[in-house]
Amino acid sequence: MKWDEFFVTGEPMIYAAMVSIVLVSVAIVAGLTYFKKWGYLWRNWLTTVDHKKIGVMYIIAALLMLFRGGVDALLMRAQTAVPENGLLDGQHYNEIFTTHGIIMILFMAMPFIIGLMNVVIPLQIGARDVAFPRLNAVSFWLFFFGAMLLNLSFVIGGSPDAGWSAYFPLASTEFSPTVGNNYYSLSLQIAGIGTLMTGINFLVTILKMRAPGMTLMKMPMFTWSILITSVIIIFAFPVLTVALALMMLDRQFGTQFFAMQNGGMDMLWANLFWVWGHPEVYIVILPAFGIYSEIIATFARKNLYGYKSMVISMVAISMLSFLVWVHHFYTMGHGVMVNSVFSITTMAIAIPTGVKIFNWLFTLRKGKITFSTPMLYALAFIPIFTIGGVTGVMLAMASADYQYHNTMFLVAHFHYVLIPGTVFAVIAGYHYWFPKVFGFRLNEKLGKWAFWFIAISFNVTFFPLFILGLNGMTRRMYTYSESTGFGPLNMLSMVGAVGLTIGFLLLVYNIYWSTRYAKRDTTGDPWDGRSLEWSTPSPVPEYNFAKTPVVTKLDAFWFSKKENTPLTDDGDYEPIHMPNNNGQPFIMGVAFFFFGFFMVFSWWIPAIIAGLVVLGTMAYRTFEQDHGHHISVEEIERTEKALRGEQS
Amino acid sequence: MKQLFPVPHVIGFVSSLLLSLIALVVVKFDLTFASGMTILGVTALVQAGLQLFLFMHVNENEDKRSLMTNIAYALFVGLVTIFGTLFAMLWGYNMI
Amino acid sequence: MKIDHAKPLEYSTEENRLKILGFWVFLGAEIVLFSTLFAVYFTLVNRTGNGPAGSHIFELTPVMVETIVLLSSSFTIGLGIHAMRIGAKKAMMTFFGITLVLGAVFLGVEITEFVTYVHEGATIQTSAFLSSLFTLLGTHGAHVTFGLLWGSAILFQVKKRGLTPETANKSFIFSLYWHFLDVVWIFIFSFVYLKGMM
Repeated sequence: MKWDEFFVTGEPMIYAAMVSIVLVSVAIVAGLTYFKKWGYLWRNWLTTVDHKKIGVMYIIAALLMLFRGGVDALLMRAQTAVPENGLLDGQHYNEIFTTHGIIMILFMAMPFIIGLMNVVIPLQIGARDVAFPRLNAVSFWLFFFGAMLLNLSFVIGGSPDAGWSAYFPLASTEFSPTVGNNYYSLSLQIAGIGTLMTGINFLVTILKMRAPGMTLMKMPMFTWSILITSVIIIFAFPVLTVALALMMLDRQFGTQFFAMQNGGMDMLWANLFWVWGHPEVYIVILPAFGIYSEIIATFARKNLYGYKSMVISMVAISMLSFLVWVHHFYTMGHGVMVNSVFSITTMAIAIPTGVKIFNWLFTLRKGKITFSTPMLYALAFIPIFTIGGVTGVMLAMASADYQYHNTMFLVAHFHYVLIPGTVFAVIAGYHYWFPKVFGFRLNEKLGKWAFWFIAISFNVTFFPLFILGLNGMTRRMYTYSESTGFGPLNMLSMVGAVGLTIGFLLLVYNIYWSTRYAKRDTTGDPWDGRSLEWSTPSPVPEYNFAKTPVVTKLDAFWFSKKENTPLTDDGDYEPIHMPNNNGQPFIMGVAFFFFGFFMVFSWWIPAIIAGLVVLGTMAYRTFEQDHGHHISVEEIERTEKALRGEQS
Repeated sequence: MKQLFPVPHVIGFVSSLLLSLIALVVVKFDLTFASGMTILGVTALVQAGLQLFLFMHVNENEDKRSLMTNIAYALFVGLVTIFGTLFAMLWGYNMI
Repeated sequence: MKIDHAKPLEYSTEENRLKILGFWVFLGAEIVLFSTLFAVYFTLVNRTGNGPAGSHIFELTPVMVETIVLLSSSFTIGLGIHAMRIGAKKAMMTFFGITLVLGAVFLGVEITEFVTYVHEGATIQTSAFLSSLFTLLGTHGAHVTFGLLWGSAILFQVKKRGLTPETANKSFIFSLYWHFLDVVWIFIFSFVYLKGMM
């Protein structure tokens, strides 16, 4: 292999990116050394097993990826803003829409949600950590290094360029000869294993570690949504594992699964991808439903309307989500029978989803609504998401789909679902739970400015795409001629994209501003919340709850405030057992990164060595004897006094 | 020595060997496809059940209900994946 | 750490109970993983291209040997857990040792079988059918290989540290894994080999 095949060359933008990657890396290393923060970074973050810190790291990584994916999106909109544009060539455009999709779904939406659930779930159920804290750290580092591996592709070897769904035969070595799709199969594989472990971890945590008295039907709705999400993760991700493994075998080991000859079946890839891919949509949307349920109940100051029907509809969605995948390729050419069956199951999902929409509306009815930033996102979500849902039912009709398939109409549809659904939700959740983690609220004024920019610009960006799609503009085309008439609406969409950028920049500026100037929150309960996480002081001490709370009903904390009854018994503090920090998960992640990197280039000997290091970290784990440590009663008393001030 | 070989385990082992032999019928005799598949399906499922209840002690766990739900859900997704894939990719492909 | 003496050693602490439940959930994911491989296999089973079909290459004798060996190993690890529960450390270690040896024999036969296939011109690259066959069998075989490493590590710990809540927990979880591999094999035996030779 020659050097110019190894590094991506010939693109000024890529050179600029290379330079900036080197500069940023140097700046980080120099900064850490100058301020003597290496030890702090290692002890407090890289080796941590604390669910709150892991959650924060997930969210930081997700925000970084949001900007990486956002730049991709801006470039795409800029390229298509005018006809016959030469900003990007076809190949570069292909790479950008591919990485945009992968990053936004797998390295932005999922980690953002997993970050929020890491921070919130143990607090909401009155637990001191997750069931398997070490495994939780492993999950994070596998995700993180998987994401880094994919990002590396864009300067070394070339990015994947066959779309985020990487259909065969396009993704085969014949039509995608660069290592780009090797990066795809290996980085998603590594991150996917981490996600599967997260699913197992949270399912066990929620099933086994709830505070005494908190039966399943007394759990907050966000916890319910994560329980269901974990179930979907556990049973959907193995399908992705297999699909990616087969892709790797086909591309690097000469197997014939998706080949065009020797009995291979190219559409089998599409089938497997979507068997995982459709449940994946619900993995990112159900937690959003949970977040909105919490926020709407809190800021309408009412209990959630139709709790039971919310739960039932989520369970129904989790089952249905496994029964609809063929609607992603109605046009493949299977018989009427297949399309009819999957058409019906797809439309059936609209029923439980509709139930949820009405439940939120009835929760709002006669509520004393506070228009805080998180609430604004929740309120905007309902109508915008409904547009996304209704266009989804349009696409569900197989015969009509022959018209919409792979047009901008589809692109508009799923952005109308995923942005108000997932993105608004994680931003709302991030504003909502921010004070719990950092001890101060984000500035409301800046938050609302950002909201209006994002909400309005979102519609300006994506609504025109519905019309463009109906006019016949297909997705993934890097340019078009003026005579098509697509120009003006694409330009409008570009204007919206700029507005979205401003909104997201305001969001980040708000972190800076609020860190410097915001008033500290001393109550631990800035929003007058309903569930257990608000009963802890902010920022939350390492052990979460000095005494385990006892729950008697739904919204236990709310009623303990209203009825002035204590949440814990009168007993004294007891020493708390906590797990120890350990560097093994981080080292395992690094080893996986190198394993993946060597595999991408088919450098077998280094790959085997890196694989042995991975096995070595597992062996270390099984032989080590680590019984954790205890936090003494005196230390608990000291911490609680410092955090709660005079009132305790 | 005797207490090291509990009777249920021995019975389970012998029956799993027997079931494997019964399944051989499909190779040794000329059966129709349907009856062959039925024999294979029944013997395989009984064997899986033996392992699950006898050797894996799925019943003794305090979270029995969670375990059963977990296995049932896994089988639901697994069977949907197998039969759904066959339906979409083979059986329904040439149907009108 | 609170130890509940009313329960078997492997269930005696809260942490142990969490781990056992967690592993069961993981096995649920494994069920889906193997189901997907079966789905791929069944889809591609008749797509043999220019290569041989299953009925041409499958042979009953090695498959029966593999089946009996693996069923026996499942039996011996069951006995191992039983011995562990009555506190017979030595018997438990013997049974675990036999299990691992049987596992190695299984692998040996499987590898010989693969070599025979390749000599007959049936490689993983020949046709879609053979790709899916080797991948399904190979994934099961890789699980057995990993099990041999993992089981040896646990056996070593039991020898060194005795039967503690920790080692008992690991041994029990390992036995779940091993039984599960046996279940998967039964389905491979029935729906790959016997169906292929029907």
